[in-house]
Amino acid sequence: MNTFYAANLLIYAGIDIIACLALNLQFGVSGIVNFSFIVFQAVGAYAAAVLSLPPDTANGGFQHYVGGLQLSFPFPWIGGAIAGGLLAIPVGFVVLRKLRSDYQAIALLVLSVIANTVITNADKFLGGAAGLALVPPPFSDRIDPNSEGYQYFYVGITAVAVVIAFALVNRVVNSPYGRSLRAMREREDAAAAIGKDPVRLKMTIFIVGGVIAGLSGAILVGFIQIWAPSVWLYPETIILFAAIIVGGRGNNIGAILGALLVPVGFEEVTRLLNNNPNIANLGPPNLISALQWVAIGLLILGFLWFRPQGVRPEPRRVFEGGPD
Amino acid sequence: MNLFVAAFGFGLVSMSVIAIAAVGFTMQFGITNMINLAYGEVMISAAYLAYYMNKAGISIWIGMVAGALFGAVFSFLLNRVIYAPFMRKGTANLGMVIVSLAVSLMISNLLLPIVGYYSVSYQEDAGRLIRLGSIVLTRDQIIVIGIAVVLMLGIHALLTYTRLGKAMRATAANPTLARNCGIPTQRVIDSVWLITGALCGLAGVVAALNADSFAIANGSAFLITILAAAVLGGAGQPYGAMIGAVLIGLITELSAAAWSPEYKEVVAFGILVLVMVLRPQGLLAKRGALAAAG
Repeated sequence: MNTFYAANLLIYAGIDIIACLALNLQFGVSGIVNFSFIVFQAVGAYAAAVLSLPPDTANGGFQHYVGGLQLSFPFPWIGGAIAGGLLAIPVGFVVLRKLRSDYQAIALLVLSVIANTVITNADKFLGGAAGLALVPPPFSDRIDPNSEGYQYFYVGITAVAVVIAFALVNRVVNSPYGRSLRAMREREDAAAAIGKDPVRLKMTIFIVGGVIAGLSGAILVGFIQIWAPSVWLYPETIILFAAIIVGGRGNNIGAILGALLVPVGFEEVTRLLNNNPNIANLGPPNLISALQWVAIGLLILGFLWFRPQGVRPEPRRVFEGGPD
Repeated sequence: MNLFVAAFGFGLVSMSVIAIAAVGFTMQFGITNMINLAYGEVMISAAYLAYYMNKAGISIWIGMVAGALFGAVFSFLLNRVIYAPFMRKGTANLGMVIVSLAVSLMISNLLLPIVGYYSVSYQEDAGRLIRLGSIVLTRDQIIVIGIAVVLMLGIHALLTYTRLGKAMRATAANPTLARNCGIPTQRVIDSVWLITGALCGLAGVVAALNADSFAIANGSAFLITILAAAVLGGAGQPYGAMIGAVLIGLITELSAAAWSPEYKEVVAFGILVLVMVLRPQGLLAKRGALAAAG
């Protein structure tokens, strides 16, 4: 196994873990079915890209985008995280206020589809359907991004981000605030009756989740150096939902496990199948990737039916001072 | 000005297509309490069935009937095999949304290797042009409008004058009470899936016929327009969906004439957002979106 392959795998795993932790905070812990999660990752990636890219007249002006501030690390990552959080404010304001929770889910799903359509058609804004290319990776002016050392370096900074994200969500989940979130998820009316404001709780978690999602997008775009509407279609969100459902809703360790099993695992299996010419040439083109999505669907249905609590169920929290 | 009158003509066709689809969707939700996100994919499956029949030389009108039958059987099975068992298990509304989204993803990806990514179109002579002032429509478009009008009157008659329709309304209002009054709610729900499934399949073929060409990716675009019409009218309200379809059909076509046809779904989405902010219960419903979370 060569360095580049191993680094690639580790970095993708790290990004998926960060994304799953954020989605678990929203969906698993707080019960917000954020079907437009991938949009928050995308906005972080776009923000990081236009913050680190030179103005669009560079490189012969072959691509068009706003911004182009040529900022150095860590500003693109911070910018990506802020962009994710900022987007959550208007979206949350429209969706989370007083709609029924299944309405919230479909509104967010529709938002995901429409945002992709708009960015694809607005070709002067963020590169349109072609997207953005040649995004400078962090520290590319000091370390050669194609060197082996850089791969380890990127794994390192991704790992730092994973640790920060994990510490943050763990702190939220295990705090009294996390208890309020779970109370809201279990019975919103009851939580409201004891003075918890569900709209406010949801808004906060929506923004925190948006920040973490934006960060994951910024890390991803710094590594793959391109970003386009075709990589953030709404089914990408469903993979992350599958990861949370498989790993265990409401359990952070479960979210990490789910990230490793579902997005990373499926990516690897498809790649291995496609590398084998005997299998890759079977049937019509795209058969394997189509069947991969069918398998994701089956995985969701199977887990919801047979083991809705996931591989690592949420721990039952008991008040220790109470009577036995 | 003539452009807008012509767009009004297209709006009439658009609203007919949307009405057929949205009434089916909203009845599924209103009576069975199921937001069926696979609706758009069932539509596109029916459209492809009619496409292959059409390619074999069978008339598109027969294909339309076949699409309706297919939609009815497919939706019925979808409910019996997947949705109903999950609901009986006590899966919450939110869980059901995830289930139906997973089903939608599976249908489109099972279809994809068969039909491919590319756009296809029906081999159908749209017939001679019929002029009414500045409005120019083809014979087929007039027929589509006719089908929609007949179906809407049919739905109205079904819900108002028949025992089945009254049983459906009773089941929608309060399933437990309906069952206690001796209404066989299980059979009522089965017939709802058959009827709305037929509307869904038919709408798929009609929508594909109305669009010059269609591809597998159109399923989600269909769904957005339908959701906008259904939510605008008040989710679960058949008459609301009809009003919603009229408004969405007109507004999207007029905006396409004034602005750009690429943004039709974006305009539909804009209306959806406005409704959700200003009047989440929709135009007709008294509660709907505002009811307690499930």
